[in-house]
Order: sequence, then C-alpha cells, then structure tokens
Amino acid sequence: MQWYEILIIVLACAFVVGVVVWQILRKKKGKSGCDCGGNCAACRGCTHTQQEEKKK
Amino acid sequence: MKKFALAGNPNCGKTTLFNLLTGSTAYVGNWPGVTVDKREGTYKRGEEKVDIVDLPGIYSLSPYTPEEVVSRNYILDEKPDCVINIVDATNLERNLYLTTQLMEIDVPVIIALNMMDAVEKNGDSVDAKALEEKTGLPVVAISALKGAGIKELMDRAIKISKEGRKGETLLKNSPIAHLIRDVAIALDGQKVENPLFHAVKLSEMDEIEAGMHPELVAMVDKFKATFTDETFGTDFEAIVADARYKYISANYSSVVEKKNTEERVLSKSDKADKVLTHRVWGIPIFLVILLGIFHLTFSENLLFLNGFTEAQGWMPTLFDAVEEGGLGWEENAWTTLVACFYDGALFSPGVIITNLWNWIIGWIGTLLELCCSHAAPWVGSFVVDGIWGGLSAVLGFLPQILVLFLFFSILEDSGYMARVAFILDRIFRKFGLSGRAFMPMIMGFGCSLPAMINTRTLADEQERTATVRVIPFFSCGAKLPILTAVAGAIVTSFGVGNADLITYGMYVLGIVTAIVCVLLMRSTTMRGDVPPFIMELPAYHRPLFKGLMIHLWDKTKHFVKKAFTIIFASTIIIWFLSSFSWDWRFLLVEYEGIMVNLHAEQSILGSIGMLIQPLFTPLGFGSQLGANGWVFAVAAITGLVAKENVIATFGTLAAAVAGAYISTEEGITEVVAMIGATNITIPALIAFIAFNMLTIPCFAACATAKAELPKGKFKWTLLFWVCTSYLVSCMIYLVGSWWWTVFIFAAVIAAAVVGIVFWNKKHPVGKKSAAAAVAADNGELLAEAAVTDDKKEE
Repeated sequence: MQWYEILIIVLACAFVVGVVVWQILRKKKGKSGCDCGGNCAACRGCTHTQQEEKKK
Repeated sequence: MKKFALAGNPNCGKTTLFNLLTGSTAYVGNWPGVTVDKREGTYKRGEEKVDIVDLPGIYSLSPYTPEEVVSRNYILDEKPDCVINIVDATNLERNLYLTTQLMEIDVPVIIALNMMDAVEKNGDSVDAKALEEKTGLPVVAISALKGAGIKELMDRAIKISKEGRKGETLLKNSPIAHLIRDVAIALDGQKVENPLFHAVKLSEMDEIEAGMHPELVAMVDKFKATFTDETFGTDFEAIVADARYKYISANYSSVVEKKNTEERVLSKSDKADKVLTHRVWGIPIFLVILLGIFHLTFSENLLFLNGFTEAQGWMPTLFDAVEEGGLGWEENAWTTLVACFYDGALFSPGVIITNLWNWIIGWIGTLLELCCSHAAPWVGSFVVDGIWGGLSAVLGFLPQILVLFLFFSILEDSGYMARVAFILDRIFRKFGLSGRAFMPMIMGFGCSLPAMINTRTLADEQERTATVRVIPFFSCGAKLPILTAVAGAIVTSFGVGNADLITYGMYVLGIVTAIVCVLLMRSTTMRGDVPPFIMELPAYHRPLFKGLMIHLWDKTKHFVKKAFTIIFASTIIIWFLSSFSWDWRFLLVEYEGIMVNLHAEQSILGSIGMLIQPLFTPLGFGSQLGANGWVFAVAAITGLVAKENVIATFGTLAAAVAGAYISTEEGITEVVAMIGATNITIPALIAFIAFNMLTIPCFAACATAKAELPKGKFKWTLLFWVCTSYLVSCMIYLVGSWWWTVFIFAAVIAAAVVGIVFWNKKHPVGKKSAAAAVAADNGELLAEAAVTDDKKEE
C-alpha cells in the first residue's frame, strides 16, 4: 500500500469519527441538531435556550 | 444591566423593532404565532447596554394561551425596568386594550406608536402628544420598518426606567370599581406586589389569580351575590372588557383623525382579499399559485410552450435548431451553455440555475478524476464515485431548494400565507382542525422541526398531537432531492409525464394524506370539539429584498454545512460497507475503465439490504427487483439519518452497483442507472417516493416530536408513521400495477368508514367547555405560576 492510500484511509476514518463525536458533543451541550436553516434565536428547538431558561 | 421588554399585539412590528435594536436577524413572519417564545438581545448606546426581551404577540394578559401566560409571568416575575408597548397606529383601539392592562402593573411603560408611515400613507393622522396626555404614559411615534423615531424612543425609555411607576387603572368608574378597590387593599395588606393588577384579575375570576389567592375568591363571590349587571349579569370578565373598550372609545379615539370615510375606498389589501379569500375561488387560486411555484422551479417545459405531451414537440431540439440555422453542430462551451437554458423546450428558472450549477459540479468531478487518474483504482472509486458521487447528488439540488424556498418566503412575507390559513379554516374544521393548525404545517414545507415546535400555538392538546403527527407529510426541503431525482428519472427513463407535475402531485399527495389521517384520528382516538380560530389578517406588503436574501443565505449555509458533515460522513460509511464483504474482501473490480461491484450482494451493506429487501416487496421495490434491488431498501433506511442521504446513497452506490448502465456522454443520472439495473416500474418508483415522504422523518425531527408530544404518545406516533407510509405506498404500487385492486381498497375503506361511524354513534363524546380545555392544557403553566408566587411569599 502506498503512503497516500494509508493517508486517505486514516483521514476518512478520522473524519467519520470526528462527525460522530461532534454530533454527540452538540447533543450533550443541548444544541439542536436540526440544521433546518432557520434562525436558532427564534427557535425553541434549540435545547440550549431551554436549559438556560430553566436555570433562570 | 437594565432589562426592557417589548410587548404588543401580533403583527404590530415588535420583531422588526427588536431586530433594529439588537441587530439580530430574527425571522419576521406575518403569521400570528411565528414568535412562539421570548427572544433576547442587547441594545447598545455608547457604553450603556440594555437587555431587550421580545415577548410573544398577545392581545391581552388573560391566561388563555401559553403566549399570554409567558408574557404576563415575565413582566410580573422578572420585573423589567421598562415595558415598551408597541402599538399599531393603524389599529389603535384594538391595540390599546393591552395597554390598559399593562398600565395596571407597577412598571414603567412607554408606548411606541408604530407604523406611522402606514398611517400617513392612508391619509390619516394620530396625535401622539394628545395620546400621551390622555393615557398619562410617554408616547413616541416610530416607524420600525423605516427606522424612524427609534433613538427618541430609547432615550425616553431609559429615562423613565430610572423613575419607577405605580400602576393605575381606568376602571375607576366601572360597575365593579368598589370590588377592585377592596381586593387591592387586601392584597396590599398582604404585601403582594402589583396589587392593582392582581385585584383586577381576581375580580375577573382569572384562573391563575384564583389559584394564587383562594382566600380572596370568597370576597369576590360575596360581591357577586349582591351584584348583577343588566347586560352581562355576573360575568365580571365581560364587564371589565366592556369597560375597557368603552373607555378607550370615549377617551382615546379622538387622537385619531381618519380621512373622510366617504372618499375612503377599499384599501389595496381589502381589494386583493376580495379575490384571494373568496369563499369559492380562494382555494383554487391557492392551488394554482402553488402549481405556478412548482412549475417555475421544476419545469423543463416552461409555460408548456413545447406542448402538453412529449409527442406534441412544438419546438425543435437545440441540435435541430443549430443545424437548421446552418451553423453546424459542434459540442463546445457555447452549446453547453445554451443547453442549460433551452433544449427542445425552454426551461424554468429553477431548472436553468440547476443546469448551470451542475455544469460547475461536473467540472469539479472531472478535476477530481484527473487528480485520481494516477492513483490506485480504489482511490478513484472512493473519492470520485463514493464521496463525490454522493455529495454531488445532494449538492445538485441546492438551486432548486433555494428557488422553492424563495417563493415560499415571498408568499409568507407578503402576508398571503395568513390568508391561506383563513380560507382553509372552513375546510380544516370539517376534519377536526382549525386553520391555525395550517400554519405549522406550512412551516413543514421548509423543515419539520420548527413546524413541530410551532404547534405550541395550538391550545388544544389533541389538535396539537394530530398536527405534530402529520407535519412530516408536508415534504421538507431535505426530501426535495428524492422527489426531484426520481421524478426526473421517470421522465428520462420512461418518457412519460412532466417532472414538475409529478413533484407537484407528490406534494399534494402529502397534503391529502395529512388531511385523511387527521380525519381518521379525530374520528377515532382523538375525538373532540374543534377549538375556535380567531386571527388578525395583516395588510399585504412587499417583502423586503434584504430579508429574503438573508433567509436564502441562512438556508444555503446550513445545507452546505450539512452536506459536508453528515452527508459526507454517510457517503464514506456507505462506500466502505458496500465495497467490503464480511470477511474483508475488497469487492470492486475494474470494468471498462471504471470500478464496478459485480458481487454487491456479498458486501456488508448488500447483505443487510438483501435481508430487509423482502419487506418492501408489497411496495414494489423489494424482492421483485432482483440482485441489485437492495439499494432501494438501503436508501430508504439511510434516509432516517438525513433525508438527503436517500439520493446520496444512490449517488455512492450506483456507479459500483449499476456502473454498466451509466453513460456520462448521455448524462444519465444515478437513479436512471438504478432503474436500468433493476427494471423497477413507474408505480414502484412513485411508491418509493411516497414511502420516503411519509415514513419516519429524520432523527432530529423524531427527537423534536418526542419532546413536543405528551407522554406515551411518541411510540404510537412512530407506529403511525410506519403504518401510514407502508399502506399508502402499497396502495399506490398495487393500484398502479393492477388497476382493478382499486375496488378492493375502496371496499375496505368503505367498510372502515361505516364501522367508525357506527362506533361513534354508539359512543358519543361529551362536549368539553373551552375554558376547561384551556385550563387543562395550561395546567403545567398554572402550576408553575402558583409555585413561583408561593416561593416569593416564603
């Protein structure tokens, strides 16, 4: 196997793992995963906003 | 830091003012209930900063809707330093009703007289100084749309926030003034804050107040026993409302000078409404507008200039036109460019932009092929066919998604969508929903998540549950690539139909399925009264270009971000799982210069796909499709992560699985290649679209539905989605393939309808009072409010 083939495989695996971890971290922080394209400031789907309000 | 609250009726311009003050790009809609909850931002004036809270649009501070309770609790509990009451100057009397209630709270209040530009345009005038003298509150004339008067408003608001204020009521001369005074004294004695406001509410037998001060309910009851009004009897709430309106009419109306009513003709909005909200023609006009939008977005035969069927062909192809023009056909950049606009028919704007966009995407694909030409064959397959194949399949639809989104934004921002809710109310009511439920559903055309959250504007729990369940049937932007790709593939492969008509038909199918399901739910498990629907129709106005562009930019950013994260990762996983077998054998081999998978069914993904493939046999894309048919089953499953994954899956797998059918010279797409590789029929393809449209939405939408639905309802909702999509798709495939099965389905449906009618007749449901229904729905909020005040007293 050439060095660039190994690099491609490693990068691809790292990317997939990175996306999965990023989504899990977003969920733990209470951020919405909808990616709906709307304005999150006006959206109660942002659980982060809900948690902040509950704290208040 | 100081805290100011923006309070006012729906559509009075609060959000426009909020955006001006805070610089936020909050979404501005003309539907009541777009702003479901408060939003916060910061106003900066030099070194001074003020927290601005945009409360939901409300007509009063009574406890009948969640928005009213939220606004009321915020003002009473959070004690803002100032309440900026935005009043629509074109509807002064109605807007001042809320003002008379805000005046009773011990909080500085300033009236922002908004839409003064519209007042002047109508030829009317409002004397702000006179209004200030009569109300005793500072009044500043502004135009949030034009940004006029904002500095003066904030200067005065900051000034009065330092002074404090004691509540005053204009009910001093009302029939129950004595009662209000006595209750206020009692509350003052108990050291209750805002005693005047609470006293008025208690006199109205407000549910929240009665819960908080049960000892004073007896005082009100005692007064009631000795009191009666000629018109309203002992309905103190009606007495108070009547007193407020009479006071407003007698004392504040004089500040408004209207143009001579004899010269006054119907406003432009009124004239437009006579047509657009017509009792008979309103809905057909809406359907035609919707068809027009789809035609301008998806049609490859603009205005049907090339005939209504393929056979007619009134216009020459580009090749014939060039040849007949004596120019000699030569395939080059110019002919390719012209072909983006015309090839046998004039394309619609959506298709033109898409063709130009796909030209660019094609260049990127060619560049990647060049880069990978000297690398190992599997690298080329992975990068070009796997990753780029999946990504480009999804990115290719971005222009059409944006064009469709643009049209819907124009309809919404212009105020037309509010009219649609009004005209659909009459029909929706027959199916157990009010027109108010239409607004979240229409939001579902963009994305299901904010649509489901917006169902909080529906006070009735059953109506809310039914609406949340059918929102995914209104195909969101993520499902558009599925519709467009498969519809286009049907036209290309079979030479029948128009892509725009097929796409439009599938959208209509979603709406019809939603209506039928709601009817079924309201006739069986969710029987009950339909709540009343009252709505203010805002005047039509030209959407702001800047606002539209901001919406489109937001949409583009999120679509591209989603494509290069979740979809990108999904294509890698799909390519890997489809290229390796369980014992880690690499299955791709070179065939005529491209990498193909001659034993795709032995791959990890293929074997999983073949396991679930039989489940889809009644739907037409199961076992009958042979060895390569599992791709359809797998695509439907990958769509659970993100609906765009359905087409991304075709994009990633088609080259390997159906590579022999792809010809880049002819530009045959991946879906067309899969059609060739599996011999799938038209009814099965339509059933595939229907299944993906109606089935369980993406994971994010599921999580939102779970949060919004009452406890225990989510699992039934999942079952509902699976059963509905399966049944509808099965019906489409069977009726499309064997027409006579329509009689069997008709008989079954008729039997079910008769059964339901008989059951309902034998088990009638009792009528529930509206107040009790709202009280039950607001139970949590009432309990919260009671707990908050109990804690305060401790």
